[in-house]
Amino acid sequence: MAQWDGRGLPPVAAERMKRFARTGLRTSLLTVPSALGIRSVGFEPVGEVMGCIVEHIGWSGFGGCGYFGGFGGLGMPGMGSGTVRPSGSASFVGFEPYVEALYRGYDTALERMTAEAAAMDADGVVGVRLPVSHLGADNREFLALGTAVRARSRHRPRRVFTTELAGQDVAKLMMAGWVPSALVYGISVLVRHDDWQTQWQSSWGAGNTEVSGYTELVTHVRADARHRFDQQARSAGAEGAIVSSISLTIGQIEPSENHRDHVAESTVFGTALVRFHRGPTAPTRSLTILPLR
Amino acid sequence: MTADPTATSIPEDAMRRLAEMRPGQATSLFTSDLSVNEFLLVREAGFRPLGLVLGSSIYHVGFQLGRWRSNQELTVLSQAMYHARELAMTRMEAEADQLGADGIVGVRLEIEFKEFGSDLAEFIAIGTAVVAEQPQTPDGQSWRNNQGQPFTSDLSGQDFWTLIQAGYAPLGMVMGSCVYHIAHQRFWQAMGNIGQNVELPQFTEALYDARELAMSRMQAEAERLVAEGIVGVQLRSFGHRWGGHTTEFFAIGTAVRPLRADHVIAKPQLVLPLSDS
Repeated sequence: MAQWDGRGLPPVAAERMKRFARTGLRTSLLTVPSALGIRSVGFEPVGEVMGCIVEHIGWSGFGGCGYFGGFGGLGMPGMGSGTVRPSGSASFVGFEPYVEALYRGYDTALERMTAEAAAMDADGVVGVRLPVSHLGADNREFLALGTAVRARSRHRPRRVFTTELAGQDVAKLMMAGWVPSALVYGISVLVRHDDWQTQWQSSWGAGNTEVSGYTELVTHVRADARHRFDQQARSAGAEGAIVSSISLTIGQIEPSENHRDHVAESTVFGTALVRFHRGPTAPTRSLTILPLR
Repeated sequence: MTADPTATSIPEDAMRRLAEMRPGQATSLFTSDLSVNEFLLVREAGFRPLGLVLGSSIYHVGFQLGRWRSNQELTVLSQAMYHARELAMTRMEAEADQLGADGIVGVRLEIEFKEFGSDLAEFIAIGTAVVAEQPQTPDGQSWRNNQGQPFTSDLSGQDFWTLIQAGYAPLGMVMGSCVYHIAHQRFWQAMGNIGQNVELPQFTEALYDARELAMSRMQAEAERLVAEGIVGVQLRSFGHRWGGHTTEFFAIGTAVRPLRADHVIAKPQLVLPLSDS
């Protein structure tokens, strides 16, 4: 088999699309309520779609802990430029190449998934899942899975819409006049130098005290991830975004003997929405029910 | 949820809207931490989400040893738990204040002890800032509470909707915390209880004491907000990392005030779900 050049769909996926076009066999990853929900607002499930990429992340771009004037911000060759500029006395350095690699992973997986959906003549992909798995030390697989749906409509969206939301949720939103436009996310990774104050505040004898350095680190990294999330939603032309998950992990690195710095990674995932109902009140209202068990 | 019969045009309108979208066009954008159900119900209750708001504090919790044989509150630890939560909450409220919010709904208040340091914990408060469509409550007051701060509530969107429908307004999340050391039994006492079914009065008393302290602190906060009552109270206990005899008792709820004299909600429809869950 000829080597695939990484552009477009891999040969095996292209083959599946051709077979789909020939037979028109419909498949879906939706649960029954999800499939019913999506049909109730005028969509037909078309088929399951997938995109994946295995990436080697060998260089995180860590250029020192940022203590000595923030290497990162100077744009030295090979050094990552910080995702957040040094603020005040504490310096932050980002892991820009690493963050870019994560973005490339998710972006490519989603692109390949939407390419499959477009090849099926779909209008959107619902119930998207984005699992990431580690293959060996530095390799990661980014996977995007979802179900392509087609609207019973004369209009076609300019781009295939994507959402993490299940069919029922999409149905509820659409009945209230909102439509998902894109899956959006923000990722940020920062490191902060542990200065003497941080070390003292977290030492055994410090008593009750806020560890201001760590608080600053997590506040900055979350703020940056949220900002990137906002930017992505905004540039997608969205009017709202529903966050589905916001996570934070902190780890230690030891850049030099007997010295530890802390690295924080934050991700925000969600769905961008646009409104098509322009009335002052939503065309639906809730019905209070009491389940009998 | 019920929809009107014109729903057949839904896919048409939605796809037209998506087709009209241009990348980079300026729009007003909100973000929210709500689920779809909550988002729709909060809007139906007459509020518009403004943005996800968040406050965080990484805190070094001090050290205090309980005396082996005594029931006592560990005030140093109580204060730490209280102070750190307060820091996270105030920072979240400050973000909401900057957005010009009337309140924060769906607040989650979490504590996570960190692996990288002993006695280090992150206290985090996340919620969605909202603004009311009507700038004033039906009785002509502000939605903000008597401290001039946006109201906060840890109720879900569903509970929030029901609360507003029933004619109540949330004022603020109120909480009380008490870290308590429970005395160990004396040796002969423990020996004497072997094979018997008896109450352990000093344990009972310790748990009573600790819970009452936590609840009364929560009530004192509600009184400061001139609340009529507290709804959705949870009384939890956390072992955290202090060993078997030291426990945090934590009471949290949403203080509310009435918006009108009658509190009627529509009679719910009874449904019989055909699924197992």
